[in-house]
Amino acid sequence: MNRLLHAALLVGLSGVMAWPVEAAASWKLGVAAPLTGPLAKMGADIRQGVQVAVDEVNAAGGIRGQKVALVIEDDKGDPREGMVVASKLVQSGVLGVVGHLNSGISIPASKEVYAPASVAMVTPASTNPQLTERGLKNVFRTIGRDDQQGKDAADYVLGRGIRKVAVLDNKNAYGQGLADVFRRTFVRGGGTIILSDSVTSGDKDFTPILTRIKAKQPELLFFGGEYQDAGLLAKQARRVGIRFPLMGGDGILDGTFVTLAGLKAAEGTLATGPGGTSQKGFNVVYSKRFGEPGAYSAYSYDAAHVLMAAMGRAGKPDRKAVLAAVATTRNHPGVTGRITFNAKGDQPNFKFSVWTVADGQFRLVQ
Amino acid sequence: MEGELLAQQVLNGLTIGSMYALIALGYTMVYGILQLINFAHGEVFMVGSFAGLGVLLLVERIAPGAGLVPALILALLAAMAAAALLGMLVERLAYRPLRHSPRLSLLITALGLSIILQNLVMLLVGTEDRAYPDRFTEALQEGFDVGAVHVAWQQLLTLGVALAFMGALTWMVRRTRLGKAMRATAEDPITAGLMGIEADRIVALTFAMGSALAAVGGVLFGLNYSINFFIGTQAGLKAFIAAVLGGIGSLPGAVVGGLLLGLIEALGAGYVSGTWKDVFAFVILAVVLVFRPAGLLGRPVVEKV
Repeated sequence: MNRLLHAALLVGLSGVMAWPVEAAASWKLGVAAPLTGPLAKMGADIRQGVQVAVDEVNAAGGIRGQKVALVIEDDKGDPREGMVVASKLVQSGVLGVVGHLNSGISIPASKEVYAPASVAMVTPASTNPQLTERGLKNVFRTIGRDDQQGKDAADYVLGRGIRKVAVLDNKNAYGQGLADVFRRTFVRGGGTIILSDSVTSGDKDFTPILTRIKAKQPELLFFGGEYQDAGLLAKQARRVGIRFPLMGGDGILDGTFVTLAGLKAAEGTLATGPGGTSQKGFNVVYSKRFGEPGAYSAYSYDAAHVLMAAMGRAGKPDRKAVLAAVATTRNHPGVTGRITFNAKGDQPNFKFSVWTVADGQFRLVQ
Repeated sequence: MEGELLAQQVLNGLTIGSMYALIALGYTMVYGILQLINFAHGEVFMVGSFAGLGVLLLVERIAPGAGLVPALILALLAAMAAAALLGMLVERLAYRPLRHSPRLSLLITALGLSIILQNLVMLLVGTEDRAYPDRFTEALQEGFDVGAVHVAWQQLLTLGVALAFMGALTWMVRRTRLGKAMRATAEDPITAGLMGIEADRIVALTFAMGSALAAVGGVLFGLNYSINFFIGTQAGLKAFIAAVLGGIGSLPGAVVGGLLLGLIEALGAGYVSGTWKDVFAFVILAVVLVFRPAGLLGRPVVEKV
């Protein structure tokens, strides 16, 4: 029995040891997103978007005749876990990473783990401005920044003639960052914030704070946070008798929001987020395999293509060469628009669209 | 306006508070008899909540047009039965073999059980947040206005069901033979045994009843909010605070503690800031324990010499 076990272990070990040698020659692309946990739906959107892109490239013969291999890791939406899986990706020999979803993970992982290893990180979803403001050369995003998003949201609200709003955030890097920019832009544009407060993400009972907001009679409630809290906010807002709309960022732009809020309570909710530019072909291909694309599906698809195109231009599976090639991405024809990175790794011309829930689904307003 | 706002916040606080109270009763009943803090109790609440969801989803599948009230009653009863069974199972498998071990072993076992139950449910239903079917929550969302106070059916239902079950429990413990046996066992298990009361049976029944009450809380929680495999930790902790606040071991104490905790949270978040909601609860707990170490309605413990 013991000998058998040893034999099995040896076989297993030799398999493990042989792997990196094989890997060194091939194109490896990493994906890191929350595949379990409350944000699992958005994590799946990212993984599936990347999968579609990789399968396209491989079906067309791969990069320089070699297939692209995908290494998928679950960061659970947790910063600590995020650092662990980032290190795992680096050790597994990936040339670049699509991820992470949470700004709170992308910010430390890009600096502490990916930067020392010269791994290019292209996030399809982390919108916190700080991410690209630290002089790092290996950070890019196919999505916009919250200072663009918060501004676009505030401009839209002001444009509708709304002057009195209440603002809540969930205290995390994404939610607070987004809400702060919204507050600043809204006040500068002549609006008044009649109440500003925070909630704890994962808390379930928001009726006390909503009651206070109702009494102040704003025309809109802006929330910086994700759908699991936003869904409950919308549901309970209706319960305490609030009839003005809720607005959020791309973090609430998902069908799960409607499920958690309930159809009636979700109706009329506004959200800024990725626009619907030339995604038709992509939507068809994606829907066939995974159903309706989520908010980040197309951005993940584009992020994967940007990285693989850079691998092709680099010509060799070398991290530094690939990183240099990603940085020179200009006018990449993505399904979300033409992608050009500036020196920070941002897309300076990114424009957020506004969505609203009508008949139980998020639809594009403008 | 100010008065109406206060009334609305009191209603909000009593709603969540009554759920805390239902869970707190289970903590306090078990503590009263075994001097054990059953840290797996929060998970029983969570399982009850999921059992309710399961039944409602099943109803939607089999009889999509079924009446709201019968479906809800069915879900409530099924959740109570499932939780009662789970509670008795936990007691039989994990606590009874350790009844005469040091109390620390029991406490560690309870914590371990809590982790096991949480992970089992996670494997079974996944990690995402779930909501009870729209049809049930939507109908209950509506309500009526009393001046500027908006009363949702949901809040009335939650309060009503919780108070009814608390009343039934009090009646049972105070007025029935079974209740008398429970009180006797809590007072002195050995003497109660000499009087012909089977302690094992009473303990099992206590677990069953406490768990069923937690399941009632779980179904109400599911109707009000969203649920995931993790809700037992937070709600269990809050209910535990409520039980300690009211005086652990005391049934009225658990109810008072639960309602009071809900009120403190609602008034704190409603008048000061949502950021510090949990802080208020812990501060009040600390203050009460400094001045009344046995809790508000608890009997002071006299050190035996």
